[in-house]
Amino acid sequence: MYFWPGVAALWGALFAGLASAVTYFRVDRGRKDLLPLARTTYNAFTICVVAAAAILMTLLLQHRFDVAYVNSYSSLDLPLHFLISTFWAGQEGSFLLWCFWGSLIGLFVWRSAKEQEAPVMMVYLATFLGIVAILCKQSPFRILPPPVPADGVGLNPLLQDPWMVIHPPVMFIGFASLSVPFSFAIAALWKKRWDGWIARAIPWALLTFLTLGTAILMGGYWAYKTLGWGGYWGWDPVENTSLVPWLFTAALVHGMFLQRSRKRHRKINLILACTAYATILYGTFLTRSGVLADFSVHSFIDLGITGWLVGILAGFVLLSVALLAWRWRVIPVAEEDETPLLSRSVLFILGIAVFCALGAVILLGTSAPLLTRISGTPSQVQTAFYEKTTMPAGFLLVLLAGLVPFVSWKGESPGALAKSARRSLAVAAALTLLSLALGARKPDTLALLLLAFFAADMNLRAVLRKARNGKFAGAGGYLAHVGVGIMLAGIVVSGAYARSQRLNLQVNVPKKTGEETLTFLRVVPGSGARKQAMEVKVETARGKTFYVYPKMYVNSRTGQLMANPAIRSSATMDLYIAPQQYDPGQPQIIGRDVRLMKGTTTEVEGTGFTFRDFNADRAAMMRGEQKILVLTDMTITPPDGSRHDVTLRYVFHLDTREGEAEEAAIPGFPNGRMRVLAVSPNDGAVVVRLVGVSKNPADEFQAATVESLAVDVTRKPLIGMVWGGFYVMMAGGLLAFVKRSREARRAILAESTERARPEPAVPATGPALPAHTRSPL
Amino acid sequence: MKKGYWIAAALTLAFIGFGLTAFQKTLTPYLSFDEAKKARGVVQVMGGLDKASDRYDESRGELSFELIDPSGRRMPVVYRGIKPANFKDAISIVAIGRYREGRIDAEKLLVKCPSKYQGAEVEKAYAAAPPGMKS
Repeated sequence: MYFWPGVAALWGALFAGLASAVTYFRVDRGRKDLLPLARTTYNAFTICVVAAAAILMTLLLQHRFDVAYVNSYSSLDLPLHFLISTFWAGQEGSFLLWCFWGSLIGLFVWRSAKEQEAPVMMVYLATFLGIVAILCKQSPFRILPPPVPADGVGLNPLLQDPWMVIHPPVMFIGFASLSVPFSFAIAALWKKRWDGWIARAIPWALLTFLTLGTAILMGGYWAYKTLGWGGYWGWDPVENTSLVPWLFTAALVHGMFLQRSRKRHRKINLILACTAYATILYGTFLTRSGVLADFSVHSFIDLGITGWLVGILAGFVLLSVALLAWRWRVIPVAEEDETPLLSRSVLFILGIAVFCALGAVILLGTSAPLLTRISGTPSQVQTAFYEKTTMPAGFLLVLLAGLVPFVSWKGESPGALAKSARRSLAVAAALTLLSLALGARKPDTLALLLLAFFAADMNLRAVLRKARNGKFAGAGGYLAHVGVGIMLAGIVVSGAYARSQRLNLQVNVPKKTGEETLTFLRVVPGSGARKQAMEVKVETARGKTFYVYPKMYVNSRTGQLMANPAIRSSATMDLYIAPQQYDPGQPQIIGRDVRLMKGTTTEVEGTGFTFRDFNADRAAMMRGEQKILVLTDMTITPPDGSRHDVTLRYVFHLDTREGEAEEAAIPGFPNGRMRVLAVSPNDGAVVVRLVGVSKNPADEFQAATVESLAVDVTRKPLIGMVWGGFYVMMAGGLLAFVKRSREARRAILAESTERARPEPAVPATGPALPAHTRSPL
Repeated sequence: MKKGYWIAAALTLAFIGFGLTAFQKTLTPYLSFDEAKKARGVVQVMGGLDKASDRYDESRGELSFELIDPSGRRMPVVYRGIKPANFKDAISIVAIGRYREGRIDAEKLLVKCPSKYQGAEVEKAYAAAPPGMKS
């Protein structure tokens, strides 16, 4: 059973999309008169996809729990913003979200592609039709057989966070917009138009760089403030499969600027556009096919679409490779010129190489379980692998970013560069010495800091220079590099000099760490939307006092224990307090607690205790009372050979989740009393407390334990620089995006007035280079 | 200019070569209990929790338990750290660490619990306290 309007919209999208692609093909074969039809069918495709998304959203908002997807991810108690986010809580919904953005972006693409419209739109449609086909097969509109559930399963409590509401939509904008450079590149290869596509595709590549980067940051920040393991990046496959496309997109953006400025290096961008798109498909395959099921803290459930994903991936990779191989010899290559090694062109090429190598290595690590499965034992790499490999790449990237502002495309003499770099080198050295004075000691981190500060200052000077000349709009790249320097310094310092301590805080007993004194005061009960928290008083060495509230609560739906850290941020460091375990404490107890497994006999002081079975009496519950009576049947065999059957009564209150047990005598022990402490029907186990059975009374003495809270306390110096640097980098990207979008629009307008004149044949060498040959500074 | 490309290619290859060696060094294979006993270096084993076997030593902050594989073989595991929440509900546990003195000295546990959610949190990772960490 399916909710037919949704299914109709999806199939409508599939057919409209196919029709549009076929019509575009005929347009390309010369039927120019069909162009309006191709566009109309594309618009119909968009309308169908948007309608499917709107229908799913409506079902979610209306709590239609008869729809399987609605039932699996939403529930009545969710506030509106979380209810909206259940749209992308599952695989089907997130695929639909991907298509939703893709169909809307396509409206801009066909308007801007001009004479390349037909081939570009055919490829562009193809990149989404596969996903639409998956959605037709694995529909989000499946209806459950009756009866209709009264409430849904609900949204994973970890995802009930504002960051997780906006993270997926932003990320899928990035995924969808990367289809544009890919489509343009394939069309360029097919139609042998080597240069025109760059200007039109740059804004979309930059959009992917921005949105994917922002999504990665949001995911990292969410992990940092919610999960409580103290970091923002865990090298999990899900994280890696968004990082790798981002690295390749960064490479592509650099390559596009290079080709645009130099009118050469065409092969690089054709390869990069294909590779970047392939990494998105490969990542989708890795995380959604279940191949990594045993290797990640995320769980990946195989929906039975693995074959489809492999097919789509293989199809696009083969298409890219075949076209590249076919056209390789006719792609115009610039004649050998005398550009020296120390030139912006070479720095760009090296930077692109580092991005690609880093992306490939991270992808290699992420694919480890898959690769090793072929050779036998599936294996995984430790996170040390990523730490080891990213460090040298980080060195190279900041070094290149630092040199780039004062090196022109045509080259620079080392002497001139040294002269312009002197000031930044002095600033970087001073800041590094300051770090040394503040306690940074490791030589590798100091070296990286020096380079990061150098890169930040060199690029900052370039930004200021541009701003003084009234060309701030063109300083996007430099500004992004300033951010890279700051961010890398933050990553290095907060990682290498974080200090952690695990403390067991007994209630009201102050405990001194290196700099602070922590006192666990009390449990603050939750109420309404506020979660139960632990009140901890922190006194700093300087005599300042503040209170932090790490959260620790049981999710009422799942019974899972949730723990969120408390973070106290100051300008120079974060104090990160992650709750690990709470012990409510217990008074001194007399008795022996024995765990009995169903059907087995446990001997205590010569007497056998056999737990036969449970009997749950739900009569009270049927009457509407919130309790269940559990009867535990036991056989007790004292040493004298007699057998006694005993039934213990235990009442479990569903509202308070507490039990209440009656005491019973123990046959064979004159002073013996026993009662049930806990039952766990899933394990088939019961815990009983025996009193007065031991020869030595000390065996029945359980000392009192004190209420206590175990926390991990971490000091993270300068972690604010990670976020701050990222913002600066994104601001630079945004500036570049605005500038390149304006340029693209101007180019399109200019072309429209010229009535779609075909692009002139490309000369083998670049034309005489005007303004940008000189150093832009 | 050609030289630039050559350097870039050499750099990429060198880096990927470096990545491959790091890959081999940090690979932690999923091994059966018998293989784990012979292996050197970090390995990972997976098994069900023997629910009668787990002990938590408060004073040393050490959790010890036994894993059982489908053919009934057992592997003792020690994990220095706080007992993971919902430990008892685990369907399966992955222990990542070194085999020493008849048991796995786990650096990390992946505890897989039954969950009705498709997505994160069916499985949760727990890292042992780093050696330098004071208790």
